[in-house]
Amino acid sequence: MSFTKPHALSREQIAQFELEVNAVRKEVMDDLGQADVDHIRNMIRICRASEIGGRALLHFGVGPVSWVAGVLALASAKILDNMEIGHNVMHGQYDWTGDPSLNSQKFEWDIACDGEQWRHSHNVMHHTYTNILGKDRDLGYSLLRMTSEQRWKPRHWFQPLANLMLAMGFQYGVGSHDLEIGRYKHGKMPKEEFKSRLNRFLSKTGKQWFKDYLLFPALALWSAPRVLAGNFLANLIRNLWTYVIIFCGHFTEGVAIYREEDTRNETRGDWYLRQLSGSSNLEGGRFFHIMSGHLSHQIEHHLFPDMPAHRYPEVAPKIKALCEKYGLFYNTGSLFKQYLTVMKRILMYTLPPKKGAALPSPRL
Amino acid sequence: MIAKTTHAAPTTWAQTLTPHLKAALQHPWVESIVRLSAVEDTLAALHPMLSLTEIRARVVRVVSETPSTKTFVLQPNALWTGAQAGQFVRVRLELNGRQVERVYSLSSRPGSRRLAITVKRQADGLVSRHLHDMVRPGDVLTISQAHGDFLLPLEADELPEKILLLSAGSGITPVMAMLRDLQARHYAGDVVFMHVCQNPDELIFADALRGIAKAFPALTLVLHFTQTEGRFSVQTLLAAVPDTALRSTWMCGPGALMAAVQQLWDDQAFTAPLYSERFVAVPLLPASRPGTPSVVTFVASGKTFTTSGTAPLLVQAEAAGLAPKHGCRMGICRSCQCTKKSGTTENLQTGEVSSAPNELIRLCISAARSDIALDL
Repeated sequence: MSFTKPHALSREQIAQFELEVNAVRKEVMDDLGQADVDHIRNMIRICRASEIGGRALLHFGVGPVSWVAGVLALASAKILDNMEIGHNVMHGQYDWTGDPSLNSQKFEWDIACDGEQWRHSHNVMHHTYTNILGKDRDLGYSLLRMTSEQRWKPRHWFQPLANLMLAMGFQYGVGSHDLEIGRYKHGKMPKEEFKSRLNRFLSKTGKQWFKDYLLFPALALWSAPRVLAGNFLANLIRNLWTYVIIFCGHFTEGVAIYREEDTRNETRGDWYLRQLSGSSNLEGGRFFHIMSGHLSHQIEHHLFPDMPAHRYPEVAPKIKALCEKYGLFYNTGSLFKQYLTVMKRILMYTLPPKKGAALPSPRL
Repeated sequence: MIAKTTHAAPTTWAQTLTPHLKAALQHPWVESIVRLSAVEDTLAALHPMLSLTEIRARVVRVVSETPSTKTFVLQPNALWTGAQAGQFVRVRLELNGRQVERVYSLSSRPGSRRLAITVKRQADGLVSRHLHDMVRPGDVLTISQAHGDFLLPLEADELPEKILLLSAGSGITPVMAMLRDLQARHYAGDVVFMHVCQNPDELIFADALRGIAKAFPALTLVLHFTQTEGRFSVQTLLAAVPDTALRSTWMCGPGALMAAVQQLWDDQAFTAPLYSERFVAVPLLPASRPGTPSVVTFVASGKTFTTSGTAPLLVQAEAAGLAPKHGCRMGICRSCQCTKKSGTTENLQTGEVSSAPNELIRLCISAARSDIALDL
């Protein structure tokens, strides 16, 4: 994949597109009210009930059926907490409510990633510089080569294995993301800055380990191994699920990648277009959308990161219609299909580029 | 003999215990296991008055004072630490998903078991209409502790010999609390309570005032009804209370009235002190034109600067040598979000101009349209 000019719109068309996207946004933002707060509070209630139920089953249940049920309940709670609640609240989707427990800048979630570091690496870096090579550090997570424009190194032979490791320990991948180890190793970050970031990461991870791998197993007395294994598996399930959803958001086939020099002096319309062509959606039902934190509507999420996410299904048809009107590619598909193209890319860019061979530019 | 009273409610075991409990629950290691918000929600589900962080107050009684004014008698939970006469509370409600706060003066006697706020129904008042139309006895409100420095002297021997309590319209509430306080403290001086309103139907606390007038010999009650007796002016005041100059005065009413009285004090160089309370919580100042230089105050750090031009506050602050936390600079990441304590700002993306106090704004897409105070 090489840098692509994803659209052939004139400046006037881009300006017009910007106004139309703004109008879609305004319609929802003017309509926010009780139903939106009720939705997120309902999610929080379900999440808490699921966590309490899951932990109770793991602690007091007997036999493998209750163990499996406990693991699934706890994993669901963690997924809900991270995806539909934490990720969305920390984007400021509910700041308009004025409810301190839904304040984006104070929220902390049940994952090894520190909230404040997430707000920087995700809200600031990833959402502002989406798919700009060298700026958006989510592009391959500094681990995977996802495009021919990234220089191939021998370590990329191990890319499929690295991908598997990242998937299994995704919370640590996300948690250590803001450390910017690469920058530190190349001397571009002062040691004190790195150390303070590292301490934050270790402190949050420590708290998570204390909770899931020490305190709750210890409270279970003789059931400690059962609880320990259950907590570990619940975290693993959450890791795999969040990994799959997030990788399908930007690494599918047909997603555009940008050069920094092409994105200078962007207008809001240009930015909208970059978000649109840099994201891909997943199709599914309401339950699937909620469990993905509505990141199944990655396109709408990147256009409107601070719109309550449960509104994305409502705006998606309008964005799709705009794409048809302006001849833009609206990248969507089933989870299976989209993830297959992600794996294809991971495997494709494992191999070193053939010398002299021109790379085929994927159609958009 | 004037009895000396302390106005703070005795400290309850709940008040002693909750700060420690709250601090323990907010410890990062505990918070990572169970959030304080989860504890609070559980307590609220068990009983609506239970909370570790907020004063909940049950509406015990609703009294119609006038066709447009109601008094809400409230029973606070154990976190309430008491009020002094003249102070106010913030009442917080959630309306259509948004938390809104309004300030109401207490009209109840300090030290009484129950509190009372008196609310005038404003035609376009979000909160006052809700309180009037929706709130019934048994409902639970969330209120703040009492605040405000519009106060009578606490020590009995500091109470002046001659007092004037002057109010108009719904400005009667804080001075009513003062009057009740003076009566409860067996004040033996000379207090004139002068109140201005349209007509006897619009007189708030009519029965209570008559009752106090009968039982409290120190009180002279002066009522001025503008419909029959004409507009109130300082001449009206001087005619009704000839020794105004000698009276330590506490007043609360519309801005114009209070400005006129203040002017009288300044012009005649009265030496008796004059204290005033503006009861309109949010003065609706018109927004200045875009680009008008405005003074921006960072409340927490004590820094100030003056804006020039229409650039967003983030750019203005940086030009002034400050470095507020920020990220995307385009309104999406919320790193620069902070609480605007007061003032008017414009959202440069939507064009929306808002004067709401304690509102979250993003520095990178907001411009000052009046002097503003930020919690930074």
